[in-house]
Amino acid sequence: MKTTRTILLAALLSATALSTAYAADTIKIGVDTPLSGTYAGIGQQVKWGLELATKEVNAKGGIMGRQIELIYEDSEANPAVAVQKAEKLFEVSKVDFLTGTVNSGATLAVGQVAERAKKLLATTVSFADSITGEKCSPNVFRVNAKAGQQSTALAAWLAKEKPKAKVFFLGPDYLMGRSTVSAFKEAAEKVGAKSLGEVYAPLGSKDYSQYFGQIRAAQPQVLYTSVAGNDTVRLFTQMQEFGLLKNLTLLGASGTVTSQNIAAIGKAAEGFATGVGYSTEIDNPVNKAFVAAFKAANKADPDLYGTDSYGLIYAYKAAVEKAKSTDTDKVRTALRGLTWSTPQGEKTIRAGDHQAMQTMYVVQVTNGQFKIISKVSGEDAIGPDTCTRF
Amino acid sequence: MVDALTRSMRASHLLLAILVAASLVVAAIGAALGDIFYLRLATEALIFGGLAISVDILLGYTGLLSLGQALYFGLGAYLSALVLMVVPSFWAAIAATTLASAVAGLIGGFIVNRVRGVYFALITFGMAQVAAKIVYNTRALGASDGLIGVPVIDINLGVTSISSGSPVGFFLFVLALIVVMYALAAYLLDTPFGRLLIALRANEARIPFLGYRTMTPRLAAYVVAAVIAGVSGALYPMLRGFVSPELMYFETSGNAVITVVTGGTGTLVGALYGSALLTLLKSVIGSFTPHHLIVIGILFMGAVIFLPKGIMGSIRPAIERMLARGEKP
Amino acid sequence: MSEAVQYFQFVLAPQMLIGLVLGVAVILVALGLTIIFGLLDVINMSHGEFYALGAFFALALAQIGLPFWLLLLLVPLLMLPVGYIVERALIQRVFHSGDRHVRTLLLTFGLGLVMEDSYRLVFGPNPYRPETPITGGVEIFDIFLPSYRLFLIIVGAAIIAAVAFIVYRTRLGAMVRAAAFDRDMAASLGVPVQHVYAGAFAFGVALAGLAGVLLAPIYSVFPTMGRDFILMAFTVVIVGGMGSIAGVVVAGLLLSQIQAIVALYISPVWSDPVVFGIMVVMLMVRPQGLFGRLGHG
Repeated sequence: MKTTRTILLAALLSATALSTAYAADTIKIGVDTPLSGTYAGIGQQVKWGLELATKEVNAKGGIMGRQIELIYEDSEANPAVAVQKAEKLFEVSKVDFLTGTVNSGATLAVGQVAERAKKLLATTVSFADSITGEKCSPNVFRVNAKAGQQSTALAAWLAKEKPKAKVFFLGPDYLMGRSTVSAFKEAAEKVGAKSLGEVYAPLGSKDYSQYFGQIRAAQPQVLYTSVAGNDTVRLFTQMQEFGLLKNLTLLGASGTVTSQNIAAIGKAAEGFATGVGYSTEIDNPVNKAFVAAFKAANKADPDLYGTDSYGLIYAYKAAVEKAKSTDTDKVRTALRGLTWSTPQGEKTIRAGDHQAMQTMYVVQVTNGQFKIISKVSGEDAIGPDTCTRF
Repeated sequence: MVDALTRSMRASHLLLAILVAASLVVAAIGAALGDIFYLRLATEALIFGGLAISVDILLGYTGLLSLGQALYFGLGAYLSALVLMVVPSFWAAIAATTLASAVAGLIGGFIVNRVRGVYFALITFGMAQVAAKIVYNTRALGASDGLIGVPVIDINLGVTSISSGSPVGFFLFVLALIVVMYALAAYLLDTPFGRLLIALRANEARIPFLGYRTMTPRLAAYVVAAVIAGVSGALYPMLRGFVSPELMYFETSGNAVITVVTGGTGTLVGALYGSALLTLLKSVIGSFTPHHLIVIGILFMGAVIFLPKGIMGSIRPAIERMLARGEKP
Repeated sequence: MSEAVQYFQFVLAPQMLIGLVLGVAVILVALGLTIIFGLLDVINMSHGEFYALGAFFALALAQIGLPFWLLLLLVPLLMLPVGYIVERALIQRVFHSGDRHVRTLLLTFGLGLVMEDSYRLVFGPNPYRPETPITGGVEIFDIFLPSYRLFLIIVGAAIIAAVAFIVYRTRLGAMVRAAAFDRDMAASLGVPVQHVYAGAFAFGVALAGLAGVLLAPIYSVFPTMGRDFILMAFTVVIVGGMGSIAGVVVAGLLLSQIQAIVALYISPVWSDPVVFGIMVVMLMVRPQGLFGRLGHG
C-alpha cells in the first residue's frame, strides 16, 4: 500500500517537473480568435493555418531550439470578449505574442490591450485600412493585405480587361462595407470606369431581389459588391434566380467569396473576380507543399485567412531568430522591414506602418476554383504610408 | 415593526455583506499575488452585475421583463467614452451619463410603459435593436469598429485618487459604487414607493381605487433602472479602454436576464451573485469548448424550470427565518 | 409618359411583387407563432430556431437522396413529435406558474440558444444552399419572376387557406378555439386540453419547419438563420393581433409592402426601424392588434 503511494507520488512529482520544464522551454503564442459566433468559419481557417505552421516549425526544432505552443481563446467575434480573452492570454497564460483577431473592431481594441501589456499583436485577417493607417499602433502588425491593396489590384485589372466599364455598386450598409465600396469606386474611376449608381442593403439582408429593379434599370456591365459570408450566398444565388448574371461581370472584396461560402453559392459564383493576397494556384514550391500539407491535415483547401496565418508563424520565427530574443522591443525592431518567404511569395513588413507588402493577385472563379488572372507588384498595390504615430 | 418586505431586504443586505467580504478577500489575494487578469475580470463581472440589478428592478419589482436594458448600458458606455476622451474626469463622465440615462429613461419609459407583459418585453427588445443599429451606422461613434483610445484616468476622491488602470484599486472602487447603487435601489424599494410597485404587480386594477396613479411609479422605476444601467455602462470604457456596438446588442441584454433569473429575481443581490457565477462559468467553459452556449442555455433552462426563484431566492428564505428569530425579544 | 411606365414596370411593380413574396415568407413563419401565442399564451422565443430546424432536417434528408417534394410532407411530420415533446417536457413544467408569460418566454429563449449552438455543433458554421427545385422564370406583364417564387406564393396561399380551414371549420379547430377561450370550460365539456395544447404547439412548430423547407432554396441554410425572421414575425403577429390568423395575413402583406416601398424611396436601412416603429405605435394605440385574439370575439 505504502509503496503504491510512493510510486504514485513520485510519478506525480516527475510529471509536474516535466511539465514545468516543458513550459519554460516553449514560446507561447496566444490565439484570440472567433471559434464561435458569426466568424467561426474564419477562426477555423486561422486555427488550421497556425497549427500547420507550428507543427512544421516544431518538427524542425522550433524557434532557437524552443518549441512553439499555441494557446487558444474563443473571442466570439465580439470585441468585448476578445479584449477580456487577450488579457487572460497576456496575464495568465503569459504568452509572448498574440494573433488571431478577425473583425477590425476586435483588432483595434485588442491592440490597445497589447500596448498596455507591452506585448505585440499581429492580425492575419482584419482588412480595415485604419489598422495600419490613422489608428496604427506600435504594437500592432498586419501580415495580410489591407482593403486598399485589394482594390488597387482589382481596379488595375478592370481597366485593362474592360476599359471604361460601366459599374454598379452594391454594399452592405455599415462603415466597413461602405468604405470598401468607396475605395474601389475611387480606384476604378481613376482608371476610367464609369459609376452608374450604388445601393446599400442592411447587413444580413434576407432578400436582395428588391434592389434588382434598380440594377436592371441601370444596365451595368460590371457589379461590384462588398457583402460577405451568408449575405454573398443570398445575393449571388438570388441574382442567378432572377437571371441577372447574364452579360454581367461580378467583382467584389476578398471576403465576398471564400472557401466558407463558395460551395453554397455554387454555379452563381462562376466568373466572380476579386483582388486578393492568395490563391491555392500560386505557382511556387512553397505553396505547392503548403496546399498539399493543408489538405492532408484538414480535408479542406486553405484560403487567404489560413495562408496568412500560416505565414505569420514563419514571420515570427524569423523575427525572433533575428532578435535572438522574444523581448517585445527587440522583436518589434526585427519585424520592421522583415522580408520572409510564404506560400504567397516573399512578403516585407513596411517599417513605417507595420503593413505587409506582397504581390497582389486578381483571381476569378472558374469551375468552382479560384484561378489567377492577373498580378500587381507589392510596391504598386500598397499605397502611401499614412501612419503618424511612430 | 418589521414586515415581510423589510425582512427580505435585510436578508439581501446580509447576502450582500457576504459578497462584499468575499470580494475583499479576493482583492487581498489578488493584490498579494500581483494578479491582473482575475481582478479585472471580477471588475467586469461587477459592472455587468450593475446592469443585471437594473433588470431585476424591473423584473423583480414591477414584473416587467426588459429585453433591451443594454440600450441604457450602451448609452452610458458610449457617452462616458466620449466624455473621457475630451475631459479625462471620472466625475464629469458619471454626471453626464446619469443625466443622459435619466432623460433617455424618461423618454423610453413613456413609450414602453404604455404596455404590459409580453408586449413590454417585445417593445424593449425592438427599441434596443433599433438603437444598436443606429450606433452601428454612425461614423462619429466609430460605427462597427467602436471607439478606441479611452485614456486611463485618475479618479479624484478628494483625499486620495485611484487609477482606473490599477487592478485592485479600480476593483474596490467599482465594488463600492455598485454597493452604493444597490443601496439606493434597495432603499427606494423599501419605501412606500416600493410597496406601491409590488402592489401594482399583484393587482394593477385596484391601485387607482386606493388613490394612486399607476403610470408614475412604473415610470419612476423604469428611470431608476435606466440610470443604474447607464452608470454601470459608464464604468466599462474606464476598465477596458474602448466601447463597441456589441455592448448594445441583444446578447448583452439577454445575458443580463440570464444573470438575474439564475441569481434570483427580486432579490437585487442575486444579480451580483449571478453575474459572478456566469462570468466564472463562461471563463471556464469557454476554455474547453466553443459551444458554451449549449451549456449555458441548458443551465439556464434548468434554472427556469427547477429553480424559479434563482439561487439567492432559494437561499434567502432561510436567512429571513434566521432574522425573524433574532427579532423576537 | 413612357418613362413613367418604364419606371413602374422596371422598378415599382417588381418591388411590390418581391414584397409579396417576402410577405408570404413572413406569414408562413408568423402563422405558427400566432397560433402558439393565441392558444397557449406562450411567446415562443425559439420559433426562429424551429424554422431553422425544418431547414436543417430538409438539408440532412436531401443529402441521403430524398426529393424536395417528399420533404415538404416529411419535414412537418418530423417536426410534430419534436414540438409535442418540447411542449410536454418543457413548457408544461412552467405553464401553470403565475408568471406564465415571463417564464415561458425565458424558457424558450434558453431553448433557442441551445438549438442554435447545436446546429453549429452538427453542421458547422458555414452556409449551405439546397438546389432550387424549380428553375427558370415566368414573365407576368413583362415583369420577370423566378418560377420558384411564383410557386412559393401559390403554395403559401394554399397553406394559409388550409390552416384557416383547420382552425375555423373543423371539429379539431373548434376544440382548439374552445380551449383558447376558456380552458376550464373546454375541459369540462370533454376537450382533452392537455393534448390540445401540446398538439397546437406541435402544429405551430411544424408550420415553422415547413417554412424552413420552403424558404431554404432562396435564403440558404446556416445556424443563425432563425434570427432573420424573428423580429419581423413578432411585429406581424403583434400588428395583426396576437393569435389571429387573418391578422397575420393582413399585417404580413401590409408590412412587407411598406418595407419594400421604404427600401425603395427612403433607404433599405430604414425599412426595419420603420416597421418596428409601426409596431410601437400599434401597441400604444391598439394593443390588441388589428384583429384581436384567437377564440375571442
